[in-house]
Amino acid sequence: MIASLNGIVKRYDSKLVLDYIDLEINEGQIIGLLGPNGAGKSTLIRCLTGMETVNQGNVTLFGDGKKPFQNKNKEKIGLVTQEISIFPELTAKENANFFAGVYGLKGEERKRRVAEALAFVGLAEQTKGKAQNFSGGMQRRLNIACSLVHNPKLLIMDEPTVGIDTQSRNHILQAVKQLQSKGTTILYTTHYMEEVEAIASEVVILDKGQIITKGTVQELIQNIQHEEKIKVEVSHPEEVSLANIQALPDVKQVIKDGNQILIVTSANSGHLDRILTIIKEDSGVVGINVEKPNLEDVFLTLTGRTLRDGGSV
Amino acid sequence: MTVFHYVLKRSIANKTSLLILFLFPVVAIFLPSGEYWPHLPYGYQYFGIFILFISLKLSGLILEDRMRGIAKKLSIAPISHFSYLAQNLLAYFLILVLQCLILVYGGVFFGKELYQPFWLLILFLTFSMASIAFALMWISFFRNKEISMLIFMSMISVIALIGGVLIPIELLPEVLQKVAITLPTFWLAWGIDWIIFGGEVKEFLLVNGMLILYMFLFLIIGSVKKLH
Repeated sequence: MIASLNGIVKRYDSKLVLDYIDLEINEGQIIGLLGPNGAGKSTLIRCLTGMETVNQGNVTLFGDGKKPFQNKNKEKIGLVTQEISIFPELTAKENANFFAGVYGLKGEERKRRVAEALAFVGLAEQTKGKAQNFSGGMQRRLNIACSLVHNPKLLIMDEPTVGIDTQSRNHILQAVKQLQSKGTTILYTTHYMEEVEAIASEVVILDKGQIITKGTVQELIQNIQHEEKIKVEVSHPEEVSLANIQALPDVKQVIKDGNQILIVTSANSGHLDRILTIIKEDSGVVGINVEKPNLEDVFLTLTGRTLRDGGSV
Repeated sequence: MTVFHYVLKRSIANKTSLLILFLFPVVAIFLPSGEYWPHLPYGYQYFGIFILFISLKLSGLILEDRMRGIAKKLSIAPISHFSYLAQNLLAYFLILVLQCLILVYGGVFFGKELYQPFWLLILFLTFSMASIAFALMWISFFRNKEISMLIFMSMISVIALIGGVLIPIELLPEVLQKVAITLPTFWLAWGIDWIIFGGEVKEFLLVNGMLILYMFLFLIIGSVKKLH
């Protein structure tokens, strides 16, 4: 096991921020820590890394529960902060070199690791460019390179894609997957569920300081999956027999909206073929869209609120 | 000593910083002398104010590290809070040592009347230490570099005035003269007087001792606050 949190309670004055958190991080996992703003994600990271002392419970890092934050354990952790934590006045190479030095890398190994880290994030051609002249996405990537330069076993990424373009976001997500394939364990916090769905081997959903559910994306969705929505765009909507569709078992609702027919069925009812056959008898089919539940729906089901802003629906 | 090395690098990373740091001491050498007061040329009398300003400018790097999340990153790295602070302060001190050397021995080279140049250098160095520690304490109260700088600039004028660096302390009301004793600038002004007029060695030791005492006091307050 790489790390674990057991019964962690963290309060700021009287405000309870983490409420009996139990979490295990196993080698080679990408754990997607998902939650709305203010859920306690950053505090959880601060407790896990020793930046904050906990009020109750204990943290174990690399099997060490007595002195988890001693230097030999710290050397194995990398942190990609929410802020872009680089020196803008220095070059990409100097930035990576600084963090390599802080982690005690020296000589040839330091040079090699700096070059590798910069190449890994796609900045091999910009090593001599000053960070202040980089685009936001490049600065984010440099931020990641600086956290990777010492080859950490556990990489903690705290909302690493905030405020960047799609191309850079994709680059970062691919990089995360590559890191996992090289054996790095990753704790990835975000409030973008698409990112977690794309990369996480296990998802932990945090809300109001509590872990409300955890499991693989499929497991979490299956737990709440009761129905699915099929949207069929048709050429002659007025001629489609809605009654015939409604008569199918497990079809809960059929609604005509302009040239679209919306059919709500039980999950995995397997009616798509039959529905299409009925529609094709009366009209041409222009397009089909089957909406499956996602993590947003999981959060909605469990909390009654939306994930993106934590607000009420 | 990675942090030390990079603090030096960052301090002189652009031409403006380089000019502020090293051109001013050169310019200060050639500033004229006053007719009656101060007894040292203006560049030397007011150098303490410059030291205060530079100390804050340099220690602003720590504040920048805090604002950018670098301090957070370092707090989980195998480097202690005190090692990080010590390496920063050492780098600032080295820069101030160079400035003091340029000013004092540049003055000697160009034939300025500095009375006791070596003791003047010692005085500037101890004041530099107190000043760096004061800047560290000051920034520990702020989260924003610009705001800390703005308030500090107005405060420097007041402590320089009351401490007797800008005008002779005898011209101040008695109450302010008593308040002045609590300011490091008072001991700097006293030290400058000792260099000009001479006196017992223990008097000079007292001045430097007080400045070192201030340094420890400010260091303790300034280093307690967490970086992240």
